[in-house]
Amino acid sequence: MAGSINRRQLLAMLGAAGVGAVAGGCGSSVGGGGGGGPATPGGAIKVGLVIPQAGVYAPLGVDMKNAWDLWLERNQNKLGNYRVTTIAADEGEGPQTGVPAVQKLLQSDQVDVLVGIVNSSTALGVKDMVTEAKKLLMVSNAGAGAITGKDRVPYIWRTSFTNAQVSSAMGTYLAGSGKTAYAIAPDYAAGAEAIGGFTAAFTAGGGRVVREAKPAFGKTQDYQPFLSQIQASGAQLTFCFFAGAEAVAFVKQYAQFGLSTRIPLYGSGFLTEGGVLTAQGDAAVGVQTTLHYSTELDNAANQAFRSAYQAKYNKPPTVYAVQTWDAATVLNRALRTATGLQGEAIAAALGSVGTIDDSPRGPWTFDGQSPKQTFYLRKVEKRGDGLVNAVVQDLGASSQPT
Amino acid sequence: MPDWLDIGVVAVLNGLAIGLLLFVVAVGLSLVFGMLDVLNLAHGALFLTGAYLAWSLGGEHPTWVSWLGALAVAAVVGAVAGGGLSLLTEPLARRSHLEQALLTLGVALVVAELLSAVFGDDVRGVNPPPGLDGTVDVAGSAYPSYRLALIGLGAAAALAMHVVVERTPLGALVRASVADRDMVAAAGIDARLVRAGVFVAGSMLAATAGVLGSPIYNARPGLDTTILILALVVVVIGGLGSIRGAFAAALLIGQIESTGRALLSDLASFLLFGALAIVLAVRPRGLFVTANGGRS
Repeated sequence: MAGSINRRQLLAMLGAAGVGAVAGGCGSSVGGGGGGGPATPGGAIKVGLVIPQAGVYAPLGVDMKNAWDLWLERNQNKLGNYRVTTIAADEGEGPQTGVPAVQKLLQSDQVDVLVGIVNSSTALGVKDMVTEAKKLLMVSNAGAGAITGKDRVPYIWRTSFTNAQVSSAMGTYLAGSGKTAYAIAPDYAAGAEAIGGFTAAFTAGGGRVVREAKPAFGKTQDYQPFLSQIQASGAQLTFCFFAGAEAVAFVKQYAQFGLSTRIPLYGSGFLTEGGVLTAQGDAAVGVQTTLHYSTELDNAANQAFRSAYQAKYNKPPTVYAVQTWDAATVLNRALRTATGLQGEAIAAALGSVGTIDDSPRGPWTFDGQSPKQTFYLRKVEKRGDGLVNAVVQDLGASSQPT
Repeated sequence: MPDWLDIGVVAVLNGLAIGLLLFVVAVGLSLVFGMLDVLNLAHGALFLTGAYLAWSLGGEHPTWVSWLGALAVAAVVGAVAGGGLSLLTEPLARRSHLEQALLTLGVALVVAELLSAVFGDDVRGVNPPPGLDGTVDVAGSAYPSYRLALIGLGAAAALAMHVVVERTPLGALVRASVADRDMVAAAGIDARLVRAGVFVAGSMLAATAGVLGSPIYNARPGLDTTILILALVVVVIGGLGSIRGAFAAALLIGQIESTGRALLSDLASFLLFGALAIVLAVRPRGLFVTANGGRS
């Protein structure tokens, strides 16, 4: 089954490459697709929405698609002065599916702009392709620092976060407590960046990490060995970075082993965000995390966003939804002033969009190609018959750590 | 280092809990493979079905009624699914393993898609029934009481199975079928009945193990393959159709997953298949298969 799909995808890719070469040639002689001359921007824009529609990240893809659709619905289906056609492509779980998805959007669908991407390896894997096509990619989740850091290209921007940015906010906050910490994250790139960011900020502020653990990513179902280590290490608090099914397993087992009442659990906000919080249930109560969003933020933009989202989809929004919502917001602003739909033109316009003052996460700006944004300390609390990430403290704005 | 001793005691205990749960899952797979020569790759999907049953009947706060109800429903669903699988694989009985594997893999994929369509792609958290959701002090560390109960239950199941297989006429039939299926048929015993019975029993065990394992593993897409792979490793290490082998192998894998990960955390991903490779090199037919016991 997998074989036939791959062959079909391969054929589609080969076909697309041929069409792309021909269409690209035509396009350059006509003077750029998308309609409308540079002087009066307007016409149509094709947006490729790259989101996971199957696999472990599928719930994130749903949130992202929801937010994108909602934004367009509330803004007359226009980004800037352009009528929007959205073409969604399935990113899947990793670059082996994500990269061909982007390739298809660029070559076969001839999109003008790309939005989305959950997996950092996919975001880094399409770098050359996007650069060659000179199209803008607005990453609305993937958190690897390199995407907008050392491997930066002018065409790839993000409305999300970097892994180290989120965890260093927690490191700085907890350093003041004078306590010792046990740090744990899966042994893959995002986990290493999160622990690195936390440890750097925590030790810079005078804290001490007594032990660090890296359980095998995607292969650990039972965290008992680590939970016993945490008890034995004498650490006064635990910092962790987990997402998805691993976040559910870790938080639930942390409570099942009686640790939650003795050694407080802290983490990057993804630990308790969206569907995983529902699955964790009471086990998550009291867990504290840092993130650049919470449904409980008290600002007008968030209230409007949250009630519109809740009304349309019958569930509260998540940070993944907000990041995609903001991707539409910044593209909308940039396209009002951009001289065209080419990557350079949009990137130049993005560089001068200034403060995004109507974001549900609160005001933020681009610092380089990644947000400088406020981080919030959040604590899981019961609210009615559900759980929320209540905002405990505003930790101030920070940029991507270098 | 008393710390290490404490960790050791808890890790060994935990390995026992995981191992006994694995035994309940894997013994069905082993019997179906050993007695019927059918590689049932849908076994993991049955486990996941059981886990989702536990969630949908009990939700986040199960009662004893919902918990026992989930076990009963899982047993029925497992029995029906086992009967269905028996009928499905019947026409392929004399064909190669590959064809059977393709068929059951197809069933597994369909079931996984259906579960994903019904329950969504979000993880569904399951908790133990009331009274078993606390902790017990073991060697100075807190240990979940549900896992202790699981040890008792798994040990009881293993003992019951041992008695049935070693001491009853039914068990004699099981052992005879593993040793020589054709001779059993020649002795006038309806092979189709044996086939259906084994499939039903194995599938019931898988589905009820799904309920029992759900407070540890939760219910989520992808759990079916994780469990299937662990069960396959147990079957290969223990030897096809050997209940004692499955028991020993499950306990070994439980310890590898628990104590092994605690002591050699850097090698964690390698340990499981490393053990498998060593067993395959030393005893290719499994630890507990006698010279005339295995089928090729």
